[in-house]
Amino acid sequence: MPTFYLDDQPIEFEQGETVLKAVLRFGVQIPHYCYHPGLAITAQCRQCLVEVTDMGNGRGMPKLQTACSTPASEGMKLSATSEKALWGQELVNEFLLINHPLDCPICDQAGECDLQDFAFAYGTGKSEMAFEKRVYGWRDVGTFIALERNRCIQCSRCERFSRDIVGSHDFGAFLRSHELTFDTWEDSPITHKFQGNLADICPVGCITNRDWRFKKRAWKFRKVESVCPSCSTGCNITLEHHQNRVFRIRPRENQEVNRWWMCDEGRVGFKPLNDRHTRLGEPQVRVKGRFQTAQWGAVMEAIAMRLKEIGAREKQVIALTDTHATNEEMFMLRRLLADGFGSQGVFFPLIVGKQQEKPTHPLEDDFIFTLITTDKSPNTEGAKRGDLIGDRDDKRLKAALKESPKVVIVLGAPFQQNSEIRAAVAKAELIVYIGAFANAWSEAADVVLPGYTYAEKYGTWINKAGRLQRIQPALNPPEQARDQVWILSALLGAPENGESFADGRAVLEAMAAQGGDFAGIGGEQIGHLGLQLKKAAKERKK
Amino acid sequence: MAEEKLLLLKNIRQQGYGGDYASYKKTGGGAAFKKALTGMTPAEVIETVKESGLRGRGGAGFPCGVKWSFMPKDLPGPDQKPHYLVCNADEAEPGTLKDHVLMLGDPHMFIEGMMIGCYAMRSTHGYIYIRGESPHAIRRVQAAIDELYKAKLLGKNILGSGVQLDLTVHPGAGAYICGEETAMLDSLEGKRGLPRSKPPFPAQSGFNACPTTVNNVETLANIPFILTEGPKAFAAFGSENNTGTQAVSISGHVEKPGVYEMDMGHNLKSILEDFAGGVRGGKKLKALIPGGASAPVMRADEIDVPYDFDSLMKAGTMRGSAAIMVFDEDTDMVEVANRTIRFFNHESCGQCTPCREGTFWIKNMIRQFGDDAGDEALLSLVHRAAGNIIGTTICAFGDAVGGALQGFVQKFPEDFRNHFQS
Ligand SMILES: Cc1cc2nc3c(=O)[nH]c(=O)nc-3n(C[C@H](O)[C@H](O)[C@H](O)COP(=O)(O)O)c2cc1C
Ligand code: SF4
Ligand code: SF4
Ligand code: FES
Repeated sequence: MPTFYLDDQPIEFEQGETVLKAVLRFGVQIPHYCYHPGLAITAQCRQCLVEVTDMGNGRGMPKLQTACSTPASEGMKLSATSEKALWGQELVNEFLLINHPLDCPICDQAGECDLQDFAFAYGTGKSEMAFEKRVYGWRDVGTFIALERNRCIQCSRCERFSRDIVGSHDFGAFLRSHELTFDTWEDSPITHKFQGNLADICPVGCITNRDWRFKKRAWKFRKVESVCPSCSTGCNITLEHHQNRVFRIRPRENQEVNRWWMCDEGRVGFKPLNDRHTRLGEPQVRVKGRFQTAQWGAVMEAIAMRLKEIGAREKQVIALTDTHATNEEMFMLRRLLADGFGSQGVFFPLIVGKQQEKPTHPLEDDFIFTLITTDKSPNTEGAKRGDLIGDRDDKRLKAALKESPKVVIVLGAPFQQNSEIRAAVAKAELIVYIGAFANAWSEAADVVLPGYTYAEKYGTWINKAGRLQRIQPALNPPEQARDQVWILSALLGAPENGESFADGRAVLEAMAAQGGDFAGIGGEQIGHLGLQLKKAAKERKK
Repeated sequence: MAEEKLLLLKNIRQQGYGGDYASYKKTGGGAAFKKALTGMTPAEVIETVKESGLRGRGGAGFPCGVKWSFMPKDLPGPDQKPHYLVCNADEAEPGTLKDHVLMLGDPHMFIEGMMIGCYAMRSTHGYIYIRGESPHAIRRVQAAIDELYKAKLLGKNILGSGVQLDLTVHPGAGAYICGEETAMLDSLEGKRGLPRSKPPFPAQSGFNACPTTVNNVETLANIPFILTEGPKAFAAFGSENNTGTQAVSISGHVEKPGVYEMDMGHNLKSILEDFAGGVRGGKKLKALIPGGASAPVMRADEIDVPYDFDSLMKAGTMRGSAAIMVFDEDTDMVEVANRTIRFFNHESCGQCTPCREGTFWIKNMIRQFGDDAGDEALLSLVHRAAGNIIGTTICAFGDAVGGALQGFVQKFPEDFRNHFQS
């Protein structure tokens, strides 16, 4: 691979790459603001100035160059720490701060602000500016974001995002010189569904997230890698939480799935996690029409007794699951029905997801609009590949219900809106509900078994494109809640003695051992960015 | 008064010259384009211009033929991008008037140069970007183009050669920065005029991301002469490496302000005294800005130098757009600095941090001198802040502000000291 040298450190690059891109990938920091890997290069903040001592032909360049826009070339020698380079970086920092309000103590960005970080690392720490700064008021500019223009460093990332990525052309530059400001036209609000990205890419606290405004200091957050549960795209995310509450979801870069972006709907997908009203905390059993809380041991015994009494087998036992369930849960549910009752009847609601949003202006690359799908669940693909039963109009489920099943096990919130299905299920002799939240099914159930939310457990989902991705626990579940896979294995232990699984990771191992799509797959293969399954499926069909 | 050397202004200096195509033709106009089209290959035209040593008159003095040779050589076919030649007629540099004289007095000369340039660079469409504040220039140039269409010298199959060429006048949208060539291309495309970071250079990716060359009006006006009389005849004017004549705009405290044409390398002091009639009212010269507001100021004792690109560069300033602004002994250079930084602060496009914030800061500091509230520390701060804009920005605007402001402080510190807090 071709190589250039930054302060004598050899750095490999790909043909056509800029110096900054290669340097950042290598893992060295050069301060920068306007450069964003997902946006057009403008080289306007001038923060990334470096000295080119040799262009690869023995000659240097008299002026400092911006690393973000300088194409890397073989044998090039650069310095980001020479006296001249540091002069450049310091002076840009000094200029950036002369009009900055320095209101870090009340700024949400503090703690994750590029300006703050770079000013500490590369600035001089003093100011000689003794004049009045330019001052603007702040306001909310969209349903999702607030604008505090005093903090703007005029890097134009927001404008390039609005113009080139969303094509909304609703946020951009006004005036010029020191009056240059980024705003919407005549105070009109931003209405597109990708506003949160503006808060992410704004390197300072000029555009911030309204939802957590003033709620938490950024450095308090603990961050856990996860996957967005709000649609079948499965954007990679970080769950940012503190004191067992999630405050924010932010996209995690994955070039194969969501690049750097996610939609606003996904960003608020954590709200139910913090909902203490509908959260189920303890197992409950219906006694004479009323729910009573009970201990796990007693509940499991009671279920076993009822099952024995009913003696249902095969078609008399069915299970319903939503497609928020993990592959591991679906696997355990199928095993429970098959091994426990000789039944294949595990049904899920099949939704054929379509792209939900369209750009309002023509775009060279409308990638971001492919993110939001109309299937608002993360694992429809997993259910399909897991050989669960789902069809349009739920014909096969309705047929199964005509056989009047005696036992119905419900996982999560499937078919909740369908009163016909609800009424048919209600006739069963035993309804077992497993899930984290109260809903129509928990109301109708005879036994309610509290499970974990997606932020409390290990598991995998398969997105619309056949990519296997993993979720991980961030929060502590209620004391008496249990991992769904444990509950399912315990239920299997009820009629017969089955294997007990502590969490999704153990189930994945069992699935890997069994072959099929998951053959040989472990957490390591899935990794931070997931694993494309398409090929595996094709090979299996052959 | 010294004799003018007339190459660019030869028609304009004739009594009663109308500037229409018929008059232009009578003086031999049009022959150069015909010669190129019927007797020369594009490569030969470029070679001839290279040989003449003609340097761009827009400010930077880049050799014109070399610039033309950067354009892709291949003919733009159906699957290739079109080539463009854009004529920079924005002329917004304070003190500069010469392009307007050429456009109003003899529009066909530079247009012919442009037509030759289009032929040489295989461009079938040229744009003339004229500042929007000059409706008279826009009308004049448009009328000249209309004449050429009528004479079938523009349009399809010109002179039966199969060559096609269209010219379009584009009125600017009122910003000094749109004179910077890449900002001009943005503005032509209908965007905010913002200088682009280079690479890519316009010859690779300019107007609408197609190969583009930008040339100043005066640069192009030299081309017909170079083709008809030959590059040697052109190089006989001026001096080595600074060939040809130049149209110089002189303004300020002089007896006879105006635009004069002379050899490149004519003595600066002689320009002031022999062409402009010396300082107004018999006053003494205090200072002079030799190349538009972007050029660092010179003291009276420094002006005995040849007036061309290289000599002025050596003298620590620049020829720029050949706009000489003269200040007599009564001038307070703090006022000049104040006016200059207000202009630059107003006109900065605001992209680059040093230029955007630096011009704002320095404006405030200079104003403080205006309020008689300066001190030594502030003076050195002006100097430092100005220096920090030099060489750290996207376009040459930053270098210009920094250099100009440092010039005032370096050359006339006593004027600033007169405004210290007492
Ligand atoms: C801030 C700025 C303003 C400029 N304004 C003008 C102008 O008004 N007219 C002009 O011809 N060139 C102007 N230039 C120079 C152009 O960028 C460019 O160099 C020139 O048009 C090239 O033509 P030439 O090679 O024929 O000189 C300006 C440059 C800068 C940096
Ligand atoms: S609002 Fe933020 S992203 Fe936009 S220009 Fe200002 S600092 Fe940059
Ligand atoms: S130097 Fe000034 S005028 Fe030129 S691009 Fe930068 S901010 Fe704009
Ligand atoms: S990051 Fe390179 S100039 Fe802004």
